[in-house]
Amino acid sequence: MDIHFEKVEVRFEGRTVIHPLDLTIGGRRVGIIGLNGSGKTTLARMINGLVKPSSGRVTVNGFDTVERQDEARGQSGFIFQNPQNQIILPLLREDIALGLKSRKLTKQEVTAAVDAILDRFGIKHLGDRRAHELSGGELQLAALASVLVTEPKILVMDEPTNQLDLKNRNLVEKTIRTLPEDVIVISHDLDLVAGLDRVLLVHEGRIAADGGPGEVIGLYRAMQGAKA
Amino acid sequence: MATRDLVLSALFAAIIVALGLVPPIMLGFIPVPITAQSLGVMLAGVVLGAKRGTISVLLVLVLAAIGLPVLSGGRGGLAVFMAPTTGYLIGWVFAVLTTGYLSQLLVSHSQAGFVQTVNFFVAALFGGVIVLYVCGISYLALVTGLGFSKAFMGSLAFIPGDILKAVIAALAGRAVMVGYPLLPQRT
Amino acid sequence: MRSLHIDGNSVLHRLPAAAKLAALAVISLVLFMIDNAGFLAGAALAGLAGHVLLRISATEIWRRMRPFVLIVVVVALFTAVFNGTGEGLTAFFRLAALALFASLVTATTTTGDFIGVITRAAMPLERLGLLKARDVGLSIGLVIRFVPEILSRYEVIRDAHYARGLKPRPVSLIVPLIITTLKSADEIAAAIDARGIRSQK
Repeated sequence: MDIHFEKVEVRFEGRTVIHPLDLTIGGRRVGIIGLNGSGKTTLARMINGLVKPSSGRVTVNGFDTVERQDEARGQSGFIFQNPQNQIILPLLREDIALGLKSRKLTKQEVTAAVDAILDRFGIKHLGDRRAHELSGGELQLAALASVLVTEPKILVMDEPTNQLDLKNRNLVEKTIRTLPEDVIVISHDLDLVAGLDRVLLVHEGRIAADGGPGEVIGLYRAMQGAKA
Repeated sequence: MATRDLVLSALFAAIIVALGLVPPIMLGFIPVPITAQSLGVMLAGVVLGAKRGTISVLLVLVLAAIGLPVLSGGRGGLAVFMAPTTGYLIGWVFAVLTTGYLSQLLVSHSQAGFVQTVNFFVAALFGGVIVLYVCGISYLALVTGLGFSKAFMGSLAFIPGDILKAVIAALAGRAVMVGYPLLPQRT
Repeated sequence: MRSLHIDGNSVLHRLPAAAKLAALAVISLVLFMIDNAGFLAGAALAGLAGHVLLRISATEIWRRMRPFVLIVVVVALFTAVFNGTGEGLTAFFRLAALALFASLVTATTTTGDFIGVITRAAMPLERLGLLKARDVGLSIGLVIRFVPEILSRYEVIRDAHYARGLKPRPVSLIVPLIITTLKSADEIAAAIDARGIRSQK
């Protein structure tokens, strides 16, 4: 992935949420950690154009998230904190197919693509189930399928293990480790982040640390330990 | 239309449908159970305002028309639009439009809580009771050939319950406005 | 939420939904213009026969018609008392025929076919810039998707009352239900936008 933040600042209702920053995110698997309200979700949402910078610009694989929003959005998929809000049609199969509507595919091609993505996450048996009948872990896998069916190159996940029991948390961790897509994971789950290539620590709207997981997580623990 | 407005309208339509499915709510001081669906129509107006409120009620009616049992008592299908009481269903649209419009006109954040509640009550009473009954009674009178006075007599028994619903809608509308304001403000 | 559609392969099932809706509109006009009780009784019988031909069981027909029986009978009785028995019968058969024909269209048309008709009917409105025709199907799907979630939320809120020894009251049930439900709108809307679902042509 190739994401550039150039002199990006975000102000919201008179408050500065992200102070001016320049940042390049490359590589395969990047984690973002920080306290609640530190600005890490805002930072991640800019990659999908869901939050627009108040000044400066964000490009994703060369596409400006404001000027070329549709192309930039096509580069990345976004998994939200509550997977139950991510599945928007009653039947899982219909929901996954919704993202393919623009592709001018035949009915058979859509069915094949939906089957393939369900198969990839081992949830083919859930295709004809209703979203409200699925468990938390099943919903998280379903959300992944609904986003990855359009083949984005980058996957951004906001707190993917937040509401899961240990079994499903481990399943999601394993899934993240084996995803061929580049991933950006925002999480309080430090064990999950420890397995990534690079970690950013966001503090009060600034990048406080940027480096290997061991070093950045150590700093984060020390910072909070010192205050306690 | 912004995606958020579309989602808010759809979610409120789902709330109205759900209110038709939950067991009738008993009020402490009168022994009659209240079916909450027509309350939902008033609530859509006081919470979302005219535009989004009307879209949410239209969505419920579309769902009913296409054969989903979304109306209280599991009613649905085109037959509900070919019944003597259809005027009340069509009246929902004008009821929520009026309630929403009046809420936006009368209620503002700078008012005292009691004033807001009274204004919401006026909006819900005018839209959700007066406008609704004008639609329902006119349709009943014209379609069945009963005539206005008899149609009015036949509907009279339901009016006290609906006035009570306007009180509940006003209290709830004011509480939602404090907790999560969505009502468009007059500028 | 199960639709009132009934699977089948009858002539009515195969007719395009738009044709059935147009026919229903014409039939209802005719039923209102003709005041002959005998003709209207025949029409009601025809509507009933249609259900029988579709192999809908008597109990199922009763289940579908039950919500209308009371109001139709009440209106017919009212009319009979005030305007004479003849007019009462006319009102009864007319209202029964209307409900039965409408029920036939509902039973033989799928939700998807109806959404198709509505989406096409919305196209002129789209050209006027009033709405996006594709939003219609999306909105309908959203409502069906979230009704069960709201019902479970309602139960949680009601149980929370019991757990604290409070009696559930309309306002204290409805306010948290509305606030928690509508607060999820932001994330649902963001999910729709992030997947580019509405920006597609």
